[in-house]
Amino acid sequence: MESEAEDVLEQVRLLLEDDSVAVNRDTALIGEHGVMDSMSLVELCLRLEDRAVVLGFEFDWTSETAMSQGRSMFRTIGSLQDEFDSQQKRAT
Amino acid sequence: MIIVTGASRGLGRAIAERFVEKGHHVVGLSRQTESDLPFETVQVDVSAENSVKEVVKRLRNYDQPPAFLVNAAGIASMNLALMAPPGSIRRVVETNLLGTIFMCQSIAPLMIRAGIGSIVNFSTIAVSLALSGESAYSASKAGVETFSRTLARELSAHGIVVNCVAPGPIATDLLRGVSPSQINRIVEQQIIRRQFTASDVCDVVELLFDSKSRSLTGQVFHVGGV
Repeated sequence: MESEAEDVLEQVRLLLEDDSVAVNRDTALIGEHGVMDSMSLVELCLRLEDRAVVLGFEFDWTSETAMSQGRSMFRTIGSLQDEFDSQQKRAT
Repeated sequence: MIIVTGASRGLGRAIAERFVEKGHHVVGLSRQTESDLPFETVQVDVSAENSVKEVVKRLRNYDQPPAFLVNAAGIASMNLALMAPPGSIRRVVETNLLGTIFMCQSIAPLMIRAGIGSIVNFSTIAVSLALSGESAYSASKAGVETFSRTLARELSAHGIVVNCVAPGPIATDLLRGVSPSQINRIVEQQIIRRQFTASDVCDVVELLFDSKSRSLTGQVFHVGGV
C-alpha cells in the first residue's frame, strides 16, 4: 500500500509558502504554536480529500472515531498523517 | 447549481420553483421525493449525517458545483415547554439545527473548491419574539442563527457568504394548528403589520442569491421586520 505520510508533510509545506518554517511530524498544526490558520487547514483537508480519491478511499475530516479519542487528529502533522493512513487502511 | 432542502413542500418548494422559473438548475432535497415537482429531486434525511454524506457524494459528480444552498427543511412542534414530549423536542432539534449544520458541513467544501458560494439558512420570527408554545422550535432556530453567524466568519476567507432568513407566519404546513388569532398577534408585532407570503420570502432569498449581495454575510433578515 502506498504511504501517504510524506505527502501530508509536503502539502503542509506547500500551503505554508514559507521555507523558513521547519515542519516535521511533531509540528503543531493548530493551537498556540500551530503553523496553520483555519483557512489553510481547510485547504489542507481538501487536498487530502483529493489525494484519498486517487488512492481509492474517502478521507473523512469529521471522523467521529478520530475525534472521540479525546485528541484532535489536527493537533500535529504526525497525528493527521496517522489518521489519514488509518482511514486508508480501513477502507482498502 | 442551486440546492434547496425541504423542497417537496412549503417554503422550500416555493423557493425551488422560483429558481426553476428563473432558469436555474435546481436540485431539491427532501425526505419524500414527489414525482410532480418541476426540478430534480433527491431523497435525504438531513438529520442523518450519513444520508447527507451520500447525497453530497452524488452532487460531487455534477458538472457545476453548488453556488447556492438554501436550508429550508424544517419541522415545528407547538407545545408549552414543560409539556413537550422528549421525542418531539429531539426531532425538532435534529431536523432544524443538526440538519442545517450537516448540510452546511457537507456542501461548503464543494463551494470552497469553487471559490464562491452563498448559503441561506432558515430561522423564524419566533426567535426574536420568544413566542410562547414554540420553545423547542425557537431554540433550534436560535441555534441556526448562531451557527450561521459563526460559519459566516469561518467561511468568509473562502469567498462564501452565509445568512439567515427569518420569516413571520407564512401560510405553509408549519402553521397547521396555529389559529388565525394567534397569527394576528404575531403579525401585530412585526414592523410591517401584515402577513407575508411564500412569494415574499422567495424575493428575499433571491436578493441573497444576487451577486450584488456579496457584502452581506452573518446577517439575519426578518421578513416584515421585527
